[in-house]
Amino acid sequence: MDTDSPRLRLSILFVVVAACFVVLFGRLWYLQVMAAPALAESAEQTRIQEVFIEAPRGRIIDVKGRVIVDNRTSLIVTIDRKKFKSDFKSSKQDELLAKLADMLTANGAPTKVSTLKARLDDQRYSDFQQVPVATDVTDEVIHTIAERNDEFPTMSYERKTVRVYPYGAAAGNILGYTGRITAELKDKLVTANDPDGIPKTYQINSTIGLAGIEKQYEQYLRGTPGVERIEFDSKGRRVRVAEYQEPKAGSDVQLHIDMDVQLRAEQALSERLAVLRNTPQRDGAIRRAPAGSMVALDPQTGGVIALATYPTYDPREFINGLSQERYDQLQNVNGVSALIDRSISGAYAPGSTFKLVTAVAAMNNGLITRVDSLYDPGFYEVGNPPQRFTNAGEQVNGMVDVIRGLSISSDVFFYWLGARMDGTTLIQDTAASFGFDKATGIDLPNESPGYVLTPAEKRELVRKYPESYQDGNWYTGDNVQLAIGQNVIVVTPLQLARAYAAFANGGTLYKPHVAWRILRPDTDLNQPIRSSDVLETFQPEVVGTISMSPETRDAIAAGLAGATVGAGTAASAFGGWDMNAFPVAGKTGTAQVVNRADTSLFGAWAPFTNPRIAIAAVMEESGFGAEAAGAAVRRTLEVVANQRLTDAADAPTVGNKD
Amino acid sequence: MFPRSISSASSRRSARNAAEPLRHIDPWLVMATAALSLIGIITVYSATRGAIPPYNNNFLFRQIIFVFLGTGVLTLFAIVDYRKLHDWAWFFYGATTVLLVLVLVLGTEVNGARSWFSLGFIQIQPAEFSKLSLIGALAFLLSDFRGDVDGRRLLTCLAVAAIPMAIIMGQPDLGTNLVLGVITLAMVVVGGAKAKHLAILGVVAVIAVVGVLNSSALAEYQRNRLTAFVDPTTQSAYNINRSQEAIANGGITGTGLFDGPQTNLDWVPEQQTDFIFTAAAEQFGLLGSSIVLGLYALLCYRIWRTAQLARDWFGTLLCVGVLAMFVFSIFQNVGMAMGIMPITGIPLHLMSYGGSSTVTALAAIGLVLNVHARRFL
Repeated sequence: MDTDSPRLRLSILFVVVAACFVVLFGRLWYLQVMAAPALAESAEQTRIQEVFIEAPRGRIIDVKGRVIVDNRTSLIVTIDRKKFKSDFKSSKQDELLAKLADMLTANGAPTKVSTLKARLDDQRYSDFQQVPVATDVTDEVIHTIAERNDEFPTMSYERKTVRVYPYGAAAGNILGYTGRITAELKDKLVTANDPDGIPKTYQINSTIGLAGIEKQYEQYLRGTPGVERIEFDSKGRRVRVAEYQEPKAGSDVQLHIDMDVQLRAEQALSERLAVLRNTPQRDGAIRRAPAGSMVALDPQTGGVIALATYPTYDPREFINGLSQERYDQLQNVNGVSALIDRSISGAYAPGSTFKLVTAVAAMNNGLITRVDSLYDPGFYEVGNPPQRFTNAGEQVNGMVDVIRGLSISSDVFFYWLGARMDGTTLIQDTAASFGFDKATGIDLPNESPGYVLTPAEKRELVRKYPESYQDGNWYTGDNVQLAIGQNVIVVTPLQLARAYAAFANGGTLYKPHVAWRILRPDTDLNQPIRSSDVLETFQPEVVGTISMSPETRDAIAAGLAGATVGAGTAASAFGGWDMNAFPVAGKTGTAQVVNRADTSLFGAWAPFTNPRIAIAAVMEESGFGAEAAGAAVRRTLEVVANQRLTDAADAPTVGNKD
Repeated sequence: MFPRSISSASSRRSARNAAEPLRHIDPWLVMATAALSLIGIITVYSATRGAIPPYNNNFLFRQIIFVFLGTGVLTLFAIVDYRKLHDWAWFFYGATTVLLVLVLVLGTEVNGARSWFSLGFIQIQPAEFSKLSLIGALAFLLSDFRGDVDGRRLLTCLAVAAIPMAIIMGQPDLGTNLVLGVITLAMVVVGGAKAKHLAILGVVAVIAVVGVLNSSALAEYQRNRLTAFVDPTTQSAYNINRSQEAIANGGITGTGLFDGPQTNLDWVPEQQTDFIFTAAAEQFGLLGSSIVLGLYALLCYRIWRTAQLARDWFGTLLCVGVLAMFVFSIFQNVGMAMGIMPITGIPLHLMSYGGSSTVTALAAIGLVLNVHARRFL
């Protein structure tokens, strides 16, 4: 073949040219057909920016349909700090801020330039965020900024929904609070879907529940953020809104909480503690009485009717973030923290309120019957050499059976039962069936579990923490102390209330539940709630049963009913109470605490038959059960019973102590 | 293949009937050229008017003027018998060389390259014209050799090509030099260079490319641009990524004129020149860009066919040079936009915005029409 022939060489050229075009067509096909979907999506990311609009959170509603947490729109003036600082010299910056301050002042929000400056430099906002410098401004302010943007450069505004609390600080410990999401939190979150199946995504500025119900029911309360997909050109100019999706409010959460009872419980606690701090008690001492809590449950469902704690915080303070100074203040109110919900995480020796459990353990296991009695000389001795345990003040009670033992709270009677059950774990096992062995599983964060030690656990403790516990032996004295709820046992007020609730309803242990049901967003609360408005109902959850014969239950119930009347330990708290109309059964407790004044406790339920409420109060360093906790409970029950015969605080202090 | 000498043919035929050539004008080439120029004008407008009013009409008007100007030059280059142009080949070559030297001294520096004369509202890029003048000079030489190119003659051709290339390297303008290199290669291959010599040339070329890429002869940014299509993560790959996204965004039917978000929102840089194909591909889709590529294929085929039909060596070689210029410009420019060729700023002839490149391309088409029309003369 003649490789020098021009014709052949032209043919080669033809092949090369043809090959070039084939390659180009092939690549074109690949880009516009095969790879097109993926590449087109990345093209969209290049030119479209998504701006999210935070949706209002769902409301929180009480059992009677009253709104406890609502939303309102707040108009906020913001400044693009980065642009503001880079675009203007500091003299011009001052001039612009002065102009803004004048304009705000003229529109009814007196503002100083120094305030604006301080807010602008708030380090909680990054340079990429719009920094809010004035909140809750009027529509006129917003219009001025929007229309005269040349006079207010780099300034803008936002419409934000913020939480409002029609009941003020009430129930703050239950409701919790919301705050700005952190990057760390955002990474860990699982995104929930709204009722229409749209994911409720989180953005860098999203608000999230950080405590209480706001945290626990975040997945329902969070709204579905709206999205504005804005198309930009390469010079960063906004060309058009390619897509707009309206934000949707979150679902409403309705609680078992009854705000009437809740408000009264909080009031009863704080008032009673204040009285205790100001008046000498029977023994002449003035109590520090720094803290207390109260839990009210529905014995038939485990629904939480009230959950009060003192001291507490105002969730409104958290709306725009809490200063470190204020945070430190809340950490130390009269020497205790206001940020702890003592009703679910306080840990206390139950004292005589635990005698309920000891009595059930003894009767269930045939140690005593309803008629067995013991002579109570005011003290009880165990061991050799004898170790002496006494009633408070070595009070001599004479012949005591289980009913009288509970009503007048004879320690000796229960020391005797405790000694007889030594060598077994009968008390611990019964305590476990009352739910004292672990956390209740309430739908609130940060619950404490408490403990009831067994001999094996005590040994284990000493082995594990030799510095704190020296003696790992279990003595009869330990069992004797356990029988009256001291020394080797710690419970939460919630556990105590639930134990009384379970006994009251005949032995069914429910998991306590604050939330009742989830309602469709923006449900009309002025109408009766229709079933179509209910998205989900949390059914009562049985987690255990207390086995006891009717004879056992009747005897013990009679003993507890006797405590609130006559010579009963709580009779003083219920002075003037109409026990026929609304019979209350309960048990006082005065628990000793090392190096501190006694804890005052009271556990109860009412009405005696067909109970509607089980309630427990625990007040730190507050002295005798009846005078502090009993009185506060009585005050709270007034709302439920619709009774107000005399003021519990003024009731005469008579009868037996503890 | 070419029995007649140029001089005898020209004297005999043209004297007989001067009007006859117009009857043999290539209608397909005219049609493809007109269509591409028109699509070019529309695409340039779409790529430069902006997304939001007030729209920018500057580029549109200028490109229309360039096409008119180019059409005038095309007519001139088509009407005057190419065998007369043969005698002017060295004049063009010399004049362009002078312009190339002058631009190094008097030219305006843009983006680090001194490639333009700035004459008020218009800029002239003499390197574009050097493509044509090199084609003319090489066609003159190689047609004289009549297919007998020994080593010395080959070196003569290479030297003729090397002079403008060396000056252009001083601007620097790598893209145009690549075009000149490909033109030279195609012309010496068809002009009769020995296979042995071509093999040596090939080896030298490979060594040169590798050497240049690894030496400090190129600035870092130039090296990055050349290798970006292999490694799409570098900063230099930004343009290519935007371009490929835009092409993909066109899909099969395209987004419609002025509705190409990537193009009309100006996300693809240099889209009226280096990335003009991208603008067309996004707005007109696979269907439209296939028509564009098809028109270019038709254009190249007609040029190749004219090279075959040409009456003499000079005509054939002119067409081969023009073909090489177009094919490389298309393959490099479109290939770059689609991410399979290195980034070098080579205009897509007939479509890219720009006076010098448009006039050069239309003049080149004029030459081919000329050769075609006089194939029987």
